Amino acid sequence: MSEHAPGANPYKIYWVTWGILLVITVAMLGAEMFHLPRLFLVLFLLAFMMVKAAMIGGNFMHLRFERSNLSWMVALGILVTSLILYTFITPESWHVKATSAPAAEVPSESTH
Amino acid sequence: MESGAHSATMETGWGGGAAPFGASWQKTMMWIFIVTDALLFSGLLCGYAFLRQANSAPWPDRTEVFSIPFIALMTFILITSSATMGSAVTAARLGDMKKALMYVSMTIVGGAAFLSCQAYEWSHLIHEGARLTGPIAGSELIEKGVTPQFTQAFFVLTGFHGSHVLSGLVILIITAIRTSMGKTPPQGVEMAGLYWHFVDLVWVFIFTLFYLL
Repeated sequence: MSEHAPGANPYKIYWVTWGILLVITVAMLGAEMFHLPRLFLVLFLLAFMMVKAAMIGGNFMHLRFERSNLSWMVALGILVTSLILYTFITPESWHVKATSAPAAEVPSESTH
Repeated sequence: MESGAHSATMETGWGGGAAPFGASWQKTMMWIFIVTDALLFSGLLCGYAFLRQANSAPWPDRTEVFSIPFIALMTFILITSSATMGSAVTAARLGDMKKALMYVSMTIVGGAAFLSCQAYEWSHLIHEGARLTGPIAGSELIEKGVTPQFTQAFFVLTGFHGSHVLSGLVILIITAIRTSMGKTPPQGVEMAGLYWHFVDLVWVFIFTLFYLL
């Protein structure tokens, strides 16, 4: 299934990828509907988001078939930079939430 | 003399004499552009994460604000247009420019359909009272728990993505016209395809992180 002989049908890989992306999307929507435990749902969605990204990058954008130099530069360049950015802003967002909590309670209708 | 040195550099392509990525300079430049553009979206998504994590009010339930089946349809359209674009790149590489033109045209139809869906989604939400600065006073969106942070994240993320779809559409239309005139080399279709797949890639992240998570 994962083998795509380049000689046989050069278009096949796009439609196989299309089918897999579609199945994953339906699975993600299904997971959303079943009200899974929050942590499990988040991990499930993030994992399949990365699988989808890898399918698009690898098969649609041909990164699987480029020299590994290029693929690593692209994938790691984006991933590592994004993770650094996210890691640095997250404690600050918690700090903002902690310090602004009393003010936010005033217009809120909830009792807690 | 200066122009002579310049053209010599152009001929060797790299000046350094080696092609570290084993790709043409066009493709290398396209990838560098895609990395920088991806970092733009990375910044926007992190901004969204900040807004959401710093917000002490609960984040609104997306299934109440949006029609998730409609968003799923938009995702389906974009994934399908990516598959037709990949087929166009392959057809061009095999020298079948007629088939490439057909697939590029199908991709243009998909892109236009996606943009139409997004225009509908935007106008629907704006009609309900959503603004970039927040839901307007007294609108039913406030009852659904929509906060200013939510509408800001929504309009900025989908707006930037939609503008990329629009520019991708312009690139595809130019590619289609030039292909029909016999002026587009196979690599031209591949460049347009890389950009189009990138737009699809960004949607995967927005769809998961904003609509589902």
